[in-house]
Amino acid sequence: MISSGIISTMRLLEMSDSQFPVGNFSFSNGLETASYEKKVHDMDSLRQYVQAASIQSAFSDGIASLHAYRAAAVGDYEAIRRADEEVILCKMNDEARQMMTRMGKKMAELTVHIMDGCRLMDRFLEDIKAGNIAGTYPVAQAIAMHHAGISEEDMFTSQQFGVVNMILGAALRCVRVSHYDTQKIAYDMAPVIASDYEKVKDMTYDDMRAFVPGMDIMASLHEKGNMRMFMN
Amino acid sequence: MKDVLNSPEIARLTSMNEMQPYNHPTRAMYIGAPGKVGYLRLGFEIDSQGKSILRDHERIAPLIVQKELYCDEGMPEMPVVYILSSGGPNVDGDRYEQDIEMRAGSFGHVTTGAATKIAEMKDNFSAMYQSITLEEDSYLEFMPEHTIPCTDARFASYTDIVCHPTASLFYSEIFTSGRKHRDNEMYKYDILSVTCDARRPDGHRLFREKFVIEPKNSDIRNLGIMGKYDIFANVIVLTPPDKAKEIYDNVEAGFFNDGELAVGITRLPNDAGLLLKVLGMETGPVKETVRKFGSTVRQAVKGRPLLPDFPWR
Repeated sequence: MISSGIISTMRLLEMSDSQFPVGNFSFSNGLETASYEKKVHDMDSLRQYVQAASIQSAFSDGIASLHAYRAAAVGDYEAIRRADEEVILCKMNDEARQMMTRMGKKMAELTVHIMDGCRLMDRFLEDIKAGNIAGTYPVAQAIAMHHAGISEEDMFTSQQFGVVNMILGAALRCVRVSHYDTQKIAYDMAPVIASDYEKVKDMTYDDMRAFVPGMDIMASLHEKGNMRMFMN
Repeated sequence: MKDVLNSPEIARLTSMNEMQPYNHPTRAMYIGAPGKVGYLRLGFEIDSQGKSILRDHERIAPLIVQKELYCDEGMPEMPVVYILSSGGPNVDGDRYEQDIEMRAGSFGHVTTGAATKIAEMKDNFSAMYQSITLEEDSYLEFMPEHTIPCTDARFASYTDIVCHPTASLFYSEIFTSGRKHRDNEMYKYDILSVTCDARRPDGHRLFREKFVIEPKNSDIRNLGIMGKYDIFANVIVLTPPDKAKEIYDNVEAGFFNDGELAVGITRLPNDAGLLLKVLGMETGPVKETVRKFGSTVRQAVKGRPLLPDFPWR
């Protein structure tokens, strides 16, 4: 008998892998500027930056993607559109919105290519191309992962892992830290992400929030500046 | 008169999840007691001579306004309204509502007479709902003095903005970490929950910014959050895209005063306008930065400068 656990885990690993071509490696979540400004310069400051990004993601994108996942589970496309709208409405940073929509479209295109019969994603991609929706990454992830048989908790974990891994991957290119340092930070983030899931899993759109002014200012400097190793 | 206490807007604020740990009956003066529920409605419009005036207003103490003043030397035709609170600081169980209506073509500057202190609280929280409506070609500068949350303070605010595509709004808020120079009272408050929800008159949603600051339950000194800084300013500018571009291009973001001041600016969703964030060590330089930004905005929208504040402010 085939183990469904192996199948869903395999798909979770595939979609969480930095090799999964949605462009994760092109973004730094403002780290490029934070490094240039010497705000992030070692393991401790990098850890703080990762923690701030993780909180921001959990309490904004994380909430919307949980709603999108539950909407996908009952085939409610209008509720998926609502989740997509909420992500954009609450995403104050311009480059972050660009990141969300570029990765969202990539995720939708890939899903349509590699999965059979994901009708919600077919429609989601059609609407992106028609300009009817923004097509954000957290919502595309929710649709794809639900179709792939990945659980809600695992989807949330993958999403948060993606944020952490994006920054740590960028850090190896622009901050003086080692692979050992970055892996230690990633390892230590696991219980933090588990705790955040417990906090946000029953939250509504009214609860979506972000308070990371330090990160916001880094992101704005990147938006106005000339640094372009990363797209944000 | 508006029944603020039982309004759906106040009910929405008091039912917010993050405020529930503090939603208990007050042991001192009851919620809704006279003096604990304030209401203010300001209506600006253009009069028959083409002058922008405060045409009408309603008020329930402790929120008070007097007549508009024309005391802005950079724009003498600008009506300036000072909101005052006769009740002192916001205390446990206070409920306030402020509605500002900018009728077609009108303009105005609304500020407060002094900083707003959020007093120490034991049972409940202070809540304020605001509604700001900007009709065609109107312009509002909403630039209150800073908010000072004291030890164990709890404050929730919710602002609904309806902005015509041709109108402009400058909306600033400055939050200190507490009474910094009084026994080093910094980040000892319980919670600040601040939401701003903006839409067009046809209901099209523009953005919704919410931040919840809970210094006791978070690493407020994380460099991605407040880091070393003690003062935070958040400035929302709603304006048409051509003016937004002009303002954006004229604002320098970065670290200033040897890193004691940090400024960032970005574009809001749906071409709504701009969002400026300022972090600083002291209130003065942050206020100056906000005001300088206000001048850039006024110049783009009205072709007039906003001069430095009065020296006694």
